[in-house]
Amino acid sequence: MKRARNKAIAAVLVCLLIMLLLGGCWDNKDINHRSLPIVMGIAKRESQYLVVLQIPEPGLGATKIRLVEETGTTISEIVDRISKNMESQIDLLHLKVVLFEKGYAEEGVNDSVETFMRAHSLSPKTMTAICDEPINLFFRNIDSFNKNNGTILINFFEKNAGWNPHISADRVWELFRSIHSYTRDTVIPIVRSGTGTVIESNGSGVIRGGKLVERLTSDQTLLINMFNGISAKGKIEVMDHATVEILSSSIRRRGSIEDGHPVVKGRISLKVSLIETRGQPSQQQIKKEVEALLSDRFDAMLKKLKAHQADVLGAGQLFRTQYSRDQLERWRTDYFPSLNVDIKFDTVIQNTGKLKADA
Amino acid sequence: MVKNAQVISMYLLIHSGLIFFLYPADIIESTEVGHWIPILTGFAIHAAVMFVYLKGLRLADGQSVLDLFSSAGRTWSALLLAPVFVYLTMVLVITARAYSEIVNLLFLENTPLWATMALLLGVSAYVASLGIESIMRSGLLLFGLSLPFAVFVLATSFQNVDWHYLLPSIDRASASFSFLFGVPFLRSLFAFGGGFLFLGFIQPSLDYSHRRLLMSSLILLPLFLISVYVPLLTFGQNTSATFLFPFLMATDTVDVDYLIFERTTLFFMLSMFVFVLVFMAIVTWQTVRIATHFVNLPFKPAVMIWTCATFIACTKIEDWQQVERLLGWNTYFRLYAMFVIPAATLAIGIRYARKGDNTNEARAQ
Repeated sequence: MKRARNKAIAAVLVCLLIMLLLGGCWDNKDINHRSLPIVMGIAKRESQYLVVLQIPEPGLGATKIRLVEETGTTISEIVDRISKNMESQIDLLHLKVVLFEKGYAEEGVNDSVETFMRAHSLSPKTMTAICDEPINLFFRNIDSFNKNNGTILINFFEKNAGWNPHISADRVWELFRSIHSYTRDTVIPIVRSGTGTVIESNGSGVIRGGKLVERLTSDQTLLINMFNGISAKGKIEVMDHATVEILSSSIRRRGSIEDGHPVVKGRISLKVSLIETRGQPSQQQIKKEVEALLSDRFDAMLKKLKAHQADVLGAGQLFRTQYSRDQLERWRTDYFPSLNVDIKFDTVIQNTGKLKADA
Repeated sequence: MVKNAQVISMYLLIHSGLIFFLYPADIIESTEVGHWIPILTGFAIHAAVMFVYLKGLRLADGQSVLDLFSSAGRTWSALLLAPVFVYLTMVLVITARAYSEIVNLLFLENTPLWATMALLLGVSAYVASLGIESIMRSGLLLFGLSLPFAVFVLATSFQNVDWHYLLPSIDRASASFSFLFGVPFLRSLFAFGGGFLFLGFIQPSLDYSHRRLLMSSLILLPLFLISVYVPLLTFGQNTSATFLFPFLMATDTVDVDYLIFERTTLFFMLSMFVFVLVFMAIVTWQTVRIATHFVNLPFKPAVMIWTCATFIACTKIEDWQQVERLLGWNTYFRLYAMFVIPAATLAIGIRYARKGDNTNEARAQ
């Protein structure tokens, strides 16, 4: 009897002790004492970083947006200082977008990317973009435009919201990979505050070794996305005699070496839907126009990329068996400039809308 | 009692708890091209020594290694088992210290190290003190509970792979097995070097089919390959070589729209963490079994004392470099536990079987 009672007392004591632990983690800060910024803007002016954080503050009825600005020598120092000055702790766990100011991107963003990958609380999935105007101005502009919606920048990039096939999408880990990879550079979108819409897409920037080296138009970005196997579904192409909407695209490509030069042969299959016609073009004519338009655009883009030795197509990936690792290390400088890309477009006009083809 | 499910799930759980953290970084460091060669080599070694070990145990008619070695004389068995004791103790210290650091790095930033270590060691000591049956039962339960999460994360981890990174599949350095005596490869043996030793300790109380266990080790092979190849295919060799925990980094890049949770890594981490807890429990149990076999000590207090000692040793390790150095020293004991113990088990097992035959024959005459 006594033994059983002792056991019961011990069990109760253990339960009480566990209650002490149930408080959770050490130095835990409740959610109402945390600020969760969703967008971070980074600029570098005279070796000083300028960081702008966009922090949504839920209030009665509507969510307010708060902008916080600070300068310092490193990003983490700045975040720390902002955290100190604010009444709550900054927690970057839910950061969704990082914006680099154009000048800083041209100088090279390697340091910040490394910080992002190294830090505990930052997600490598954070999206990246380049801002075409002074970063503080950009935030003020979009703030004055859209007082109550803090998610506008995220929605712009989100695949299930405002993203379009001609906007490149790039995350911090992809940027980090491109900095370390032998054969892969990357494109990240360029945005600025708009006049009619809140944000204006301004093509995309080619990043080589962490530096912004060249700009591509939206149309060229579309081709890169297509080349990398991202479907161009939804893009509308306007030509002399017709306007079509791309319904789907797929690519097959193969790398080989001919006469000592790398050659990529590819075939992009497009399915399009007819939206508008001007005059009475035949289906054949429309197909030809689509193919000519895309081919010309592709060649122009490739020329630009070769000039900067930036392989955003990831073409070097196709030569992993042909070249040794030492050779691939020199891929960008020695081989990519002499690369020949032979892309054929196969267009199928899947439907002609609700009207007959010759209507 | 035949408990195939318990033993097999314990075997799988121990190894999956170990391979997804430190193992990928070691393999990625061991060679630049053709990582499947070190993976398969390691796996072949693992399967071979396990086969020898199980063979020896079968010849011993379901005795534990402790009893079997004792049949060869007390001094011999003490000499044979002393390095194993040191090895298991080091494993306990390293695991407790390394995994609390990992927890600190990845999600509990503000928790002091000693608290996570105390939790890890405390829980595993409690489970160990209840005896092998409870360890095995809790292993089966936790394995069943975590399996759906782990499978989901493993399946989604392929989201960002670029299959081009698979090539080239071989080069001169990897084909010539030059990685074999390199430090990274030897360190990678941590993931499967001594985990299977428990099979020889549980025997009289729990029986299991040796053939099925060997078959189930084939399930580990895809796990080994996934743990290395997912980060390689996502990031490429150069980038993944910069990470401390490449596999977790790769799962961190996975973006699943329809989940309300942002980081699937966390689920995976927690299930692997629970597995490590069970692993530590069984290592504690083995260590104390060896000690109590030679020194007359009551079991439960011995577990308590040993865990406290481990905790103190853990708090003395100050940084990650010391953990790595400890892992390096541990290599010798690991090689011993991996090769000498199974070989000795087989040798003594054969002798025992022969002696058994002789006495049977003598009895028959």
